[in-house]
Amino acid sequence: MATGNLTLNEEKIEVRRRALTSSVAMSIVMVSFAMVFATLMLGYFAYRFTSEVWPPMGMQRVDLGLPTVSTVLILLSSLTYFLSESSFLQKNSKKFKAYFWLTFALGIVFMAVQSWLWFSLKKNGLFVGSGVFASMIYGFTWIHAAHVVGGIVALLCLIPSVRNKREEVSTSLWLKNIGMYWHFLGIVWVIMYFSLFVY
Amino acid sequence: MAFYEQHIHPKPTTFLSKYIFSYDHKVIGKQFLWYGIFFLFVGGLMALMIRWTLAFPGQPFPVIGQFLFPESGGAVPPDTYAMLFTMHGTIMIFYAITPILIGAFGNFCIPLMIGARDMAFPLLNMLSFHIAALSGIILLGSLFTPLGAAAGGWTSYPTLSTLIGSPGVGQTFWSLAIFVLGVSSIMGAVNYITTIITLRAPGMGYFDMPLTIWGLGLTAVLNAIFLPVLGSGVMLLIFDRVFGTTFFLAGAAATTGTGDPILFQHVFWIFGHPEVYILILPAWGIVSDLLSFFARKPAFASRATALSMTAITILSTVVYGHHMFTTQMSPLLTQTFMTLTMTISIPSAIFFANWLGTIWKGSIRFHTPMLFSLGVVFVFGLGGLTGLYLATVTTDLYLHDTYFVVGHFHYTMAASVLLGGFAAVYFWMPKMFGTMLNEFWGKVHFWITMMGLNGVFFGMMLVGYGGMHRRIYNPFIYEFTQKLIPLNTFTTWSAIIMGLSQIIFVVNFVHAVFFKKEKATANPWEVGTLEWTIPSPAPHYNFKDIPVVKCGPHEYGNPNLTDGRDFQYQTEELV
Repeated sequence: MATGNLTLNEEKIEVRRRALTSSVAMSIVMVSFAMVFATLMLGYFAYRFTSEVWPPMGMQRVDLGLPTVSTVLILLSSLTYFLSESSFLQKNSKKFKAYFWLTFALGIVFMAVQSWLWFSLKKNGLFVGSGVFASMIYGFTWIHAAHVVGGIVALLCLIPSVRNKREEVSTSLWLKNIGMYWHFLGIVWVIMYFSLFVY
Repeated sequence: MAFYEQHIHPKPTTFLSKYIFSYDHKVIGKQFLWYGIFFLFVGGLMALMIRWTLAFPGQPFPVIGQFLFPESGGAVPPDTYAMLFTMHGTIMIFYAITPILIGAFGNFCIPLMIGARDMAFPLLNMLSFHIAALSGIILLGSLFTPLGAAAGGWTSYPTLSTLIGSPGVGQTFWSLAIFVLGVSSIMGAVNYITTIITLRAPGMGYFDMPLTIWGLGLTAVLNAIFLPVLGSGVMLLIFDRVFGTTFFLAGAAATTGTGDPILFQHVFWIFGHPEVYILILPAWGIVSDLLSFFARKPAFASRATALSMTAITILSTVVYGHHMFTTQMSPLLTQTFMTLTMTISIPSAIFFANWLGTIWKGSIRFHTPMLFSLGVVFVFGLGGLTGLYLATVTTDLYLHDTYFVVGHFHYTMAASVLLGGFAAVYFWMPKMFGTMLNEFWGKVHFWITMMGLNGVFFGMMLVGYGGMHRRIYNPFIYEFTQKLIPLNTFTTWSAIIMGLSQIIFVVNFVHAVFFKKEKATANPWEVGTLEWTIPSPAPHYNFKDIPVVKCGPHEYGNPNLTDGRDFQYQTEELV
């Protein structure tokens, strides 16, 4: 019995170790990623506030339709991720898996809508090289999309959890850390939606 | 306090797992050291070519000139000159100083000095080195592209760095290399901060950490926050060059709606000013420790030193505008940035006084690491003081873009960090490789380097004060600079002497690493920090039992010590 208790205790310490280490590290990683987008926003507002008319050079505003769809999708995916994580913590494996795959699908659909957005911009005559307004719409959405692709790859790292091939405590940490990144991408998109497209 | 104790990993046995894909922080540190020394050689050679051109314009560079520049008879051609100073700056800052001070000594010292068995994330650590290696290959590859490497200065200001200024693919490679290296450094920074927070030995509070760890930790904080800013900037630059966006391209008439080249300068310096502290903070930390170790006295007001370094770290984030006084900034902003910059003098003066307080009335042992540390005190003092003239708007308008700036930042960044790096190499050599460097040749190396270095950088400041501008292929076509030719020749000879004296170091180093039979003892310098409680070289698991820390890192000359020692280990109760 005594040895059994000791192992249990060691296991607890191990879990605590991984939880603390990963939460410290993920916080720093999030600061780094936030600085990437903060820099882009700094550039955007520098142009936005110094320009007399916006969009400049008589350009058309981007039609809000597709970006709004993207916003709804990415917010929904954050919600389903949250539901997936909480179902896991409530040990509801079925719901966990369903919401996980829904999150994954929403991520893919988000990327599809973004690609559609780029095609439609091009069709409407807003090319990458048509001045700084177009540069920002394209450049910033590219950078965000690249991070979403990274997020989808991160979601793939959860597949062992979905297939019950990972210990419970491990899965809860993976879910928490990847969740931080996934929700972060949602927040960034909402900021970009309101600043680049709506405002 | 450590959050947990790491397991002892089995010893790696194969060549690949031991030397190439090693998870061991000490091996990764050594990998970064060799990487840094290689690039230090490349960057140093470029510096000599630049200096040669300034002293002897049009004359063939000795020995290798004919081979490198056959079309101009061995002399450095004008376009190559621009590439040389660009690549010299880039290589020295990102590929020599960063890997040696942060990559090598960060990796090597952090776990050893805080009593851990390895970094918090060994795999991440290994990837960090391999990504840095990839970045180095991209950068070196750019030298062999059709129009040559980047030539827009290490700052890569648009329009010089856009397709208009640099049509070749070299500039794109440069941007990509910097981006990739940034990723590597951020990975390192995440690892360093997490390690320092979670893996300190039991009993070790933040103020019980050696100041080296303070310096490295603060550097990692700045890296994690500000390298992404540069990453964004160079990524947009790559977009401009490759995909045709116009972030930094002002149209022919700069009508509204086109991009803004000045924006890149803002983004660059928001990163760039913290970057100079990223480079110098580890050296400050190392010197603060070594002065105490070799003066056999507790570090004077070591908490104040640590807190001043922290204050400088914070202030360094809000002063970047002093690099841009001549970009038609509003006078309100220039004055604000000037005042904030001047504020940095206060914490700098505090820890500088602490350094002097540490060595004051100490029983100084003039070993090689101490000589190099005292060298840092001298050159950093000089470099720091000349910074005041550049921070003041009125004097900066005259001095901007002259060799005075070049002299100043070489004193602060290059000279201090180089000497600090050498101090660290001489000091931790026994723990890294198990052998001591030769003391006599170390001292010879120090004195020649020190004289050469002051000749070069003081010469630069003088010609700059005389009005000679930087980045000009042949400044002597202007009448007023012709009087500066003798001074430039002197500077170049100093550079050649300094460059050649590094051969002494290389021979000493290679001999000690590969051929020296005589092994170092566990604690040859009689120092009390944790890494000296274990054998030399450090075993792959570092500490068999995780040490328990009972006193600070600088306990020297305590009159209560009885057993003939004048120091005590951090694992011992304060007597």
